[in-house]
Amino acid sequence: MTGIYATALIVLALTLAGWAVVLLIVNRPPGAALIGAAAVLELVLVGFAVGGIVQMLGTDRGFARAEFVGYLLACVAIVPAAVWWMKDERTRAASGVLAVVFVVVPILVVRVQQVWAGAGV
Amino acid sequence: MPVSDATAGGEIGPDTRRQVNRGFGRVLVVVYAVFAVAATARSGIQIATKFEQAPVAYLLSAFAAVVYIVATIALARGDRTSRKVATVAIVIELVGVLAIGTASLLLPDQFPAASVWSRFGLGYGLIPLLLPFVGLWWLRRTR
Repeated sequence: MTGIYATALIVLALTLAGWAVVLLIVNRPPGAALIGAAAVLELVLVGFAVGGIVQMLGTDRGFARAEFVGYLLACVAIVPAAVWWMKDERTRAASGVLAVVFVVVPILVVRVQQVWAGAGV
Repeated sequence: MPVSDATAGGEIGPDTRRQVNRGFGRVLVVVYAVFAVAATARSGIQIATKFEQAPVAYLLSAFAAVVYIVATIALARGDRTSRKVATVAIVIELVGVLAIGTASLLLPDQFPAASVWSRFGLGYGLIPLLLPFVGLWWLRRTR
C-alpha cells in the first residue's frame, strides 16, 4: 500500500489541487482539461482501491479491515461526487469544490496507508 | 491551460448571489459533507468495535456526525426552511465544538480517545472550530 503508486497518486492529486487553486484565483470555473485530468485521477484511484483490496485478501495479517475498505471506497467515490456537485455551478466556486476534494484525496491515501500499517481509528 | 468549454466566471447574477447553495456555498457544502462522512464513519466504527473504551467521546462523535449531516443537507438544499435548519444546526455545532473543546482540555481523563470536536478539532487542522463561524457568516451574507 506504500511505494511508488501511492506516491504518484498523491503527487497527481496535489498537482490537480494546485491547478484548481490557480483557476480559483484567476476567477474561472474548471474547463474540459481539468475535468479530463480529474477522470485520469479517478482511474488511478480505482486502481489504488482494487490493488488495495487484492493485497488485503492476500494477507492474514491483522489490521482494521473494515476501515481499510471504507477509506478505499471513499477514495473511489469522492471525485465523481465532487464533479456531480459542481457541474451546474458556472463560477469559480466550481474550481473551489475541486480544489477541496483534490486536497482531501491525499489525506485519504495517507489514512489508507496508516490503517494498512496498523493504526486504529 | 485551455478552458475551452467554460464560461468566464465571476458573473454571478443577482438571482444566485443570495442563494445559500450557490457560489461559495457549493464549496462550504463540500467541506461539511467531508466532515459528515468522516465523523459518521469514524463514530460508527468506534461505537461498533470499542464502545466501552471511551463511551463519552464516542457518543459525542456520533452527535457531531448527526449535526454535520443535518447541516450538510440543509445547506445543500438552501430553501427557506433549510436555512433555518442550517442555522440551528450550525449554532449547535459552534456550541458543541466550544464546549467539547474546552471540556477535553480541562477533563482529559473523560476524553481518552479523540473525537471530532475534542481539543477544538486540532486533529482535523482546527477546521471544526472555524467551520461554524464560516457557516454562520455565509448564512448571514446570503440572507
